[in-house]
Amino acid sequence: MTFDRLSEGQLDALKEVSNIGMGHAATALSQLIGETIYLRVPRVTLTDIAQVPELMGGAERVVAGITLRILGDARGNILLVFPRESAQRLLACLLRRDEPGPVLSEIGVSTLKEVGNILASAYLNALGSLLHLTLIPSVPMLAYDMAGAVVDSVLIELSQAGDLALMVETEFHGVTPGAEGIKGHFFLLPDPASLGFILEAIGGAP
Amino acid sequence: MSAKLRVGISEFRVARAPTVLTTYGLGSCLGVILYDRPKCLGGMAHTLLPTPRPGVQEVRLVKFVDAAIRLMVDELVSQGASRGSLTARLVGGANMFEPLYAPSEDSIGARNVRMARATLLALEIPLLAEDVGGSHGRTVEFDLTTGQVLVRSVHGDDTILTG
Repeated sequence: MTFDRLSEGQLDALKEVSNIGMGHAATALSQLIGETIYLRVPRVTLTDIAQVPELMGGAERVVAGITLRILGDARGNILLVFPRESAQRLLACLLRRDEPGPVLSEIGVSTLKEVGNILASAYLNALGSLLHLTLIPSVPMLAYDMAGAVVDSVLIELSQAGDLALMVETEFHGVTPGAEGIKGHFFLLPDPASLGFILEAIGGAP
Repeated sequence: MSAKLRVGISEFRVARAPTVLTTYGLGSCLGVILYDRPKCLGGMAHTLLPTPRPGVQEVRLVKFVDAAIRLMVDELVSQGASRGSLTARLVGGANMFEPLYAPSEDSIGARNVRMARATLLALEIPLLAEDVGGSHGRTVEFDLTTGQVLVRSVHGDDTILTG
């Protein structure tokens, strides 16, 4: 299965399936922080791997990236990216800190990984039961650094198979979409070999 | 004010003074810098992987450490660099996420660094300095006028690699 031969219908199907998965993940996050979480309509982009850091707001921007490997019937990666301010706000909220504290404290790292774990599990559970696939998230890993550096480690695996990345991206934010809210990006990066399998399960195979 | 040229992922660029070559956010990717000091001519590559997998026809060779170094040397020589005065510096090759699947010496970052050292050795290009490994991202600025390589990271101080 190569990425550049996807039809409109297949892209729409991926978007819809991801929207359902993301809905479950957002509910989990909103229960966790006690705040309503709003989702943007997901974007499915087929992009040159070299351009991916730009899509995240620039290669030098500091972000907290949590990544999990998808194991089971289909393979791929999940990447959850919070801009620095959002990661701090999320931690302040979950750890009941009055002031935004350091992201990289032991409790900070552990909390963010757990957030990643909860969101990815909710997402994969929804996807799995919808598509009748067994999808298991790996242990989450965290990096807090420049967006370019965080992303390249995840993309390198993809780049062994080709120069294109298929990204199903959902932006989410808290009550206020402005500067004060918590926002982030959720990416599903299926392995090229697993994409055909996912599409077949959706029923969108050619 | 010298012009700043940006080197993207899987790309290399060759320039002369007074240009500054820069690449942002190197994680496990490896930045390779070659410099002909007498001519103030040099190049920078932003590479992803050590070598192509056997039997796979690759479209974009600059993605690979080995090929990128060789192509960049050819380009530098064709622009007037003398083969014998080229020197190298390496930046990047980190392991951004904890080594969950593989010990850190087997990570892609570490393999990229080993590949670069081997290729430079084979081409007899002296490796003057390197800022590699660890688990943090790096941004590099290479000033072709002074030959100075400035490495910035989010978590610590700037490092200067002279060469």
